[in-house]
Amino acid sequence: MSAWRLASAGACLLAGLALPGPAPAAPADNVGRSIYLRGVLGSGAPLEGTREAGVVTTAADAACVNCHQRSGLGSVEGSLSIPPVTGEYLFHSRAHDASEPVLPYVESLHGNRDPYTDATLARAIREGLDSQGRPLNYLMPRFALGDEDMAALVEYLKTLSVRQVPGVTDTVLHFATISTPDADPLKRRGMLDVLEQFFVQKNLFPLKPSPRMLTSGKTQYSKSMYMANRHWQLHVWELTGPAASWRAQLDKHLAAEPVYAVLSGLAGSNWAPVHEFCEQNAIPCLFPNVEVPVIAERDFYSLYFSKGVLLEAQLIARTILGPDNHPTAGAVEQVYRAGDSGEPAAKALAAQLKGHGVTVHSTVLTAGAQGHGVTAVLRAAALRKDARGQALVLWLRPGDIAALSDVPAGAATVYLSGRMGGLEKSPLPAGWREHTLMTYPFDLPGRRGVRLDYPLGWFSFRHIPVVAEQVQTDTYLACSLLADVLNRMADNFARPYLIEQLQALLEHRIITGYYPHLTLASNQRFASKGGYVVHFRDPGGTALVAEADWIVP
Amino acid sequence: MIPQSQPDLSPRTRCPTPAAVGGRHSVLVRLAALTGVALLVLASGGSANAADDAFTAPAPEASGPIRSIRKYAVPAVSLVRDDGKVVSLPDEMSDGRPIVLNFIFTTCGSTCPLMSSVFAQFEHRLGAEADKVHLMSISIDPEQDTPARLHEYAQKFHSGLEWQHYTGTLAASITAQRAFDVYRGGKMSHAAVTLMRAAPGKPWLRIEGFVTADDLVRDYRELLAAR
Repeated sequence: MSAWRLASAGACLLAGLALPGPAPAAPADNVGRSIYLRGVLGSGAPLEGTREAGVVTTAADAACVNCHQRSGLGSVEGSLSIPPVTGEYLFHSRAHDASEPVLPYVESLHGNRDPYTDATLARAIREGLDSQGRPLNYLMPRFALGDEDMAALVEYLKTLSVRQVPGVTDTVLHFATISTPDADPLKRRGMLDVLEQFFVQKNLFPLKPSPRMLTSGKTQYSKSMYMANRHWQLHVWELTGPAASWRAQLDKHLAAEPVYAVLSGLAGSNWAPVHEFCEQNAIPCLFPNVEVPVIAERDFYSLYFSKGVLLEAQLIARTILGPDNHPTAGAVEQVYRAGDSGEPAAKALAAQLKGHGVTVHSTVLTAGAQGHGVTAVLRAAALRKDARGQALVLWLRPGDIAALSDVPAGAATVYLSGRMGGLEKSPLPAGWREHTLMTYPFDLPGRRGVRLDYPLGWFSFRHIPVVAEQVQTDTYLACSLLADVLNRMADNFARPYLIEQLQALLEHRIITGYYPHLTLASNQRFASKGGYVVHFRDPGGTALVAEADWIVP
Repeated sequence: MIPQSQPDLSPRTRCPTPAAVGGRHSVLVRLAALTGVALLVLASGGSANAADDAFTAPAPEASGPIRSIRKYAVPAVSLVRDDGKVVSLPDEMSDGRPIVLNFIFTTCGSTCPLMSSVFAQFEHRLGAEADKVHLMSISIDPEQDTPARLHEYAQKFHSGLEWQHYTGTLAASITAQRAFDVYRGGKMSHAAVTLMRAAPGKPWLRIEGFVTADDLVRDYRELLAAR
């Protein structure tokens, strides 16, 4: 087998690219970036691409990123593979020269061509001919770029060649996990137990640095399984104080301990400062345990298992409004504690019910309202009942739920956030159970058994106490996905590539813990998209009955 | 491992005529149809660039759609149309109109937008004839592709009244994909397949690979003429 090594000619071109350093002149770089990512030319006009037989694609739809991905490393879609277009791959040579550096393996690599030059690359983009004059795949449009736009785009492709990634050394991969000060301390301990044990397990076989993975195909790739050559190091970043100060703390942590990615993590009701930190620093932020994620589908570096309580708000809205948007309740009374995750959830539900003729009130519990105080508040709320029936929505924790006494009169249906309220273990008093529907944004207990056997067995074998099963199995899942994706990436650590590869592999994952299935793709940030609405079968116990099939709101 | 699409080497495989194939691919496809080995390379590639081994990859221009005639049993599944209505797939396919069918997902960056553009062009080229055909696009990522998202996607391609998009449960989508032999284990390994049927009860023309709108119009007219 031949490794694709750089011939001297290619190496001359590459010499300037391979090293980390300042980006090229800003204006050209911005134009290239804007063509690549957004399909906007230097003049501000939309990029236009034409395929054979006159299929025209324009603007964002024509942007290179759609196929070649943000990393520039391409993708594999079924039998179709879209090649890498970062400078180092475009300008590499097939020639053998042991003294030259080699390129990391990527799955989508096409090898059968000479290295491009700036001129042949421009021809490829304008006329659809490869470096040897052969037509490119039908999928690749032709772009009538002017010289300045072309130069800017080619320069941008060269900047995509990243060989030095922060947090990655020849022997160590650095990861951070982040917890916010309002995170539940019990869940936090449970999460850290899993993370620490996973890292211990991962580092059981510390090997000396292995040879760099070559671009010579799958034989070499298979030897790279488990990436055993790099030690995984976990940095625990504990945020303290008010949310306004978290960003400065994060910046300080990052400066002291550059990390490749943020893995798992735990928040109370606010994760937004961490999300923004990751997006702005281009750090992958993988599957944190958060009830209130940031919903910004066009962001890139943050991936979540689900929309958390915001998904539950969607499930409740869907249930109240029905498939035809005919509300089953005229008024909705929401109850939450100030500052808890129920607050944004209640806001989200109110927004979804707006415009459908449903009156929405909120009752905010403050620190003083404990025990019977909760019921008193609920009773007061029930007085605002509506002739068309009232729904009561409880965004409460088990402590408040256990303290509920008599069911308030006039509440036709009670909705309870399963995620906040403790799922099937929620201490909902017997009298409430027949009136209550609980959102259950996971697979049902009886159905996820097999998918949990593996992580739970793993915890037991390592003497990890199960204190918060869902958080701990989600954490385990996040770690396993990271291990899987790093295997798949071989020696290519470009951060966008990590996200792209996770998006591609996720749907093939079989051990998905609490979730019936997970799937992502470009511009998808939330892997599990639905949930159940259930009720308790009995006045006591944990048996649930689903009201309907899995609902994707 | 991502499953690859299997080449259809059965006797049903139709030897494509230059008229049906057209363009610069015709010679190569005819050649491919004559030699099993070449066909294998083409069909397993879908794109000639697919082979990632530097030494066996065929020349890039050697790709072209592969046509075959197939019989499929339309499964009795419920789907949700982009207008939010729950419909039965057999009902949607049995109003007597010819059907042109593909499988897409809205967050797909490469293959699907191209296939949808070709459907849009196909509609446009048919002109007044278009209201006699039923174009159907079934999502292979149904949980992401809510009716609202499908509707938005359809608008982007200016789909006419005769072109509907469908979603549903994941299980229903997979059943539909399996029935038409396009299920490849997940949306990320999907194949570019277009299916066409002149009328209920008739066999399907299966086109694997990228097809142009002109070729699709030609295939459509041929299929109708043979009805």
